[in-house]
Amino acid sequence: MLSEAERQELRGRIKAAAAEQQPAVLLAEMKQLIRGSAKAAPDAMFCASALEKISDTLVAQKNVRRVKTFIVRSVTLEPLLPFLRVEAALTGLLLDVEMGGYGSYVDDMLNAQGALTRFAPELVLVVLELEDVAGALPELCANGGGEAVEQEIEAAAERMGQMLRGLRARSSARMVVQGFVVPDSSSLGDVGDANVRDSLPRAVERLNERVAALCRSIADCVFFDVDRLAARYGRRQWRDVRMFLSSRLSIAADAFSVYARGMARSSSALFRAPRKVLCTDLDNTLWGGVLGEEGPEGIATGGAFPGNCYLEYQRYLKQLASRGILLAAVSKNNESDVIEAFEMRAADLALSLSDFVAKKISWRDKAESLRELAAELSLGLDSFVFVDDNPVECEAIRRALPEVAVIGAPLDEPWRLLEMLAEEPFFDAVVVTEDDVNRTQEYRAQAQRAELATSAATREEFLASLGIVCTFLPVAEAPLARAVQLLAKTNQFNLTTRRQSAAEVERFASADGGQAIAVRVRDRFGDAGVVGLALAETKGDTCFIDSLLLSCRVIGRGIESALLAEIMQRARRMGSRRVVGEYAPTRKNGLCANFFAEHGFVRSGAENSSKDEPVCYEFDLRAGAVESPAWLTLEGTEEYEFAEGTHVTS
Amino acid sequence: MSLQKVPTSLRDILADTLEISPEEVTPELNTEAVEAWDSFRHLQLMLAVEGEYGVQFDPRQIPELTSVRKIQDALESKGVSL
Repeated sequence: MLSEAERQELRGRIKAAAAEQQPAVLLAEMKQLIRGSAKAAPDAMFCASALEKISDTLVAQKNVRRVKTFIVRSVTLEPLLPFLRVEAALTGLLLDVEMGGYGSYVDDMLNAQGALTRFAPELVLVVLELEDVAGALPELCANGGGEAVEQEIEAAAERMGQMLRGLRARSSARMVVQGFVVPDSSSLGDVGDANVRDSLPRAVERLNERVAALCRSIADCVFFDVDRLAARYGRRQWRDVRMFLSSRLSIAADAFSVYARGMARSSSALFRAPRKVLCTDLDNTLWGGVLGEEGPEGIATGGAFPGNCYLEYQRYLKQLASRGILLAAVSKNNESDVIEAFEMRAADLALSLSDFVAKKISWRDKAESLRELAAELSLGLDSFVFVDDNPVECEAIRRALPEVAVIGAPLDEPWRLLEMLAEEPFFDAVVVTEDDVNRTQEYRAQAQRAELATSAATREEFLASLGIVCTFLPVAEAPLARAVQLLAKTNQFNLTTRRQSAAEVERFASADGGQAIAVRVRDRFGDAGVVGLALAETKGDTCFIDSLLLSCRVIGRGIESALLAEIMQRARRMGSRRVVGEYAPTRKNGLCANFFAEHGFVRSGAENSSKDEPVCYEFDLRAGAVESPAWLTLEGTEEYEFAEGTHVTS
Repeated sequence: MSLQKVPTSLRDILADTLEISPEEVTPELNTEAVEAWDSFRHLQLMLAVEGEYGVQFDPRQIPELTSVRKIQDALESKGVSL
């Protein structure tokens, strides 16, 4: 908890940062204040006002995204809004909020002319009470339940389903659907609640499961498990019954901050991809003690305390690795000592050296090591997390590489590191795709490719020697989730950076003249999975390319040209005579600025427009075509399908 | 009308919640005088005051606390020394 003097000082700095338009400072100070304040309500209000003053600069400089948010609700949430705005800003979302009426939630969800539809939100939060959705449940459960309880759960899930699917049919907004808090007590008492099959708590748990399953079945829709938060906080304190009954305030004032943080964290997972790399220090972080001083037998790791604190951390890293988060060891040590330690203490370590995709073990500056890693893995530093016990190293990284997330491992309390990592949303993921799981292998293959590149004479020889195969897949066949994930997280080779949602991608796939093509790439070293996507639509005689993007892992092998060629061939078959593409510059996509020009497109529109504005390009299909590079083997093009004897019905 | 009449802790909560400067907070200030002081802001204010002084108001009393002086009086009647 902050002292009053510290609190006032932070407020002073936040005010100054807002006045001087310094978003990075503002966010950092705000996080400290809001996490440690003894006066949460006025401070949340204060921070929300400061955010308002700096919102334009935040969007322009800090990669914070403005999100039109509609809240469908049946309870009072207004006093919570400042908390929600602040917590959302800390996760990178600037919420522009519109609230539905208490009694109008059905209308908001289903009426095509209703308030929600008119607002055209990008994010919809659905916050309903148990009594709105399954009002009969408490009474049905009171006498021990039976068939009627199951039917009510079924019917409640169906009502929710109709509303959510109805909304999805009209809107491509991301959705966060709040579950229900399991009641802390019923007339059966704790023993009855625990033992009677259809006690109210059991029934609400089942309802939550049903709603979660429902959310999984709808694109861009997540279940917000509010009961988990309430249980963590204490269900009895979660609600102030007095305020619920008098003002329909569903959360106690003391829990606002926890609630807002949970809601913001669930929402932000719909807009942001998880970080991809965890760089860990070794001494006093991956194991206890300093290897250089204590030797391989002296470091703490293994079943006994305090070694088991480190073992827990290693197991956590192993879990991250198993879903495709890359591990890198970044340590000031002698490499031979580290190899020896991993060999001699293998039985006491949950990780082996081969679990690390990359190792930077030397006496050099760690910021330099991280930059090299980013280049070798073709990943942005903003997808890195750095864990180190040395506050000086941590501060050096924060200063040199502000986009890296830094965690200071607590030297004297090694058992706290895991909870510190769990507090941060870095690795939150709504879905885990097959490509995530295979990623580690793919990055290892990348290192082998880099080796071959130095031995091949020319670029083309080198690329030919890789034996690259591109498979074009309709998005309906490629996992849609992966396509949307690519849209959300591809920054460098992304011509328009339109973060289309699953619903929008499906529209391209199914519309007349629409194209939604994913590309899967493999070569002799491995399968990179689905790494590229193009969305286009032919209207009249013109094909418009909405999005074309490629994961940075495979840039520079001609795959981007193949994808463009494929789009254009299909457009021609659909009767297009012209292809129009657009390049919308961002801070990160400079590398594809000349993509269209290099493929023979002609710039259309004013030449002298400012350099931040989108530029349009045209290609006349009657005059020629873009060819796919000779070193690529293509699969899944339409010709290929026809050649295989696909039946086409007219 | 002097500033001393509203204790600093209460003054600051009012200023933050109603988005006005602390100097504007006088005992006479009421819901009529501040445009932002609507029913939701009032609820927010009551929650902040309850949190600060560790008290709970009777929900029937809450709508009646429409000026700074009335809030101060209600706190004092709960035994809070301001």
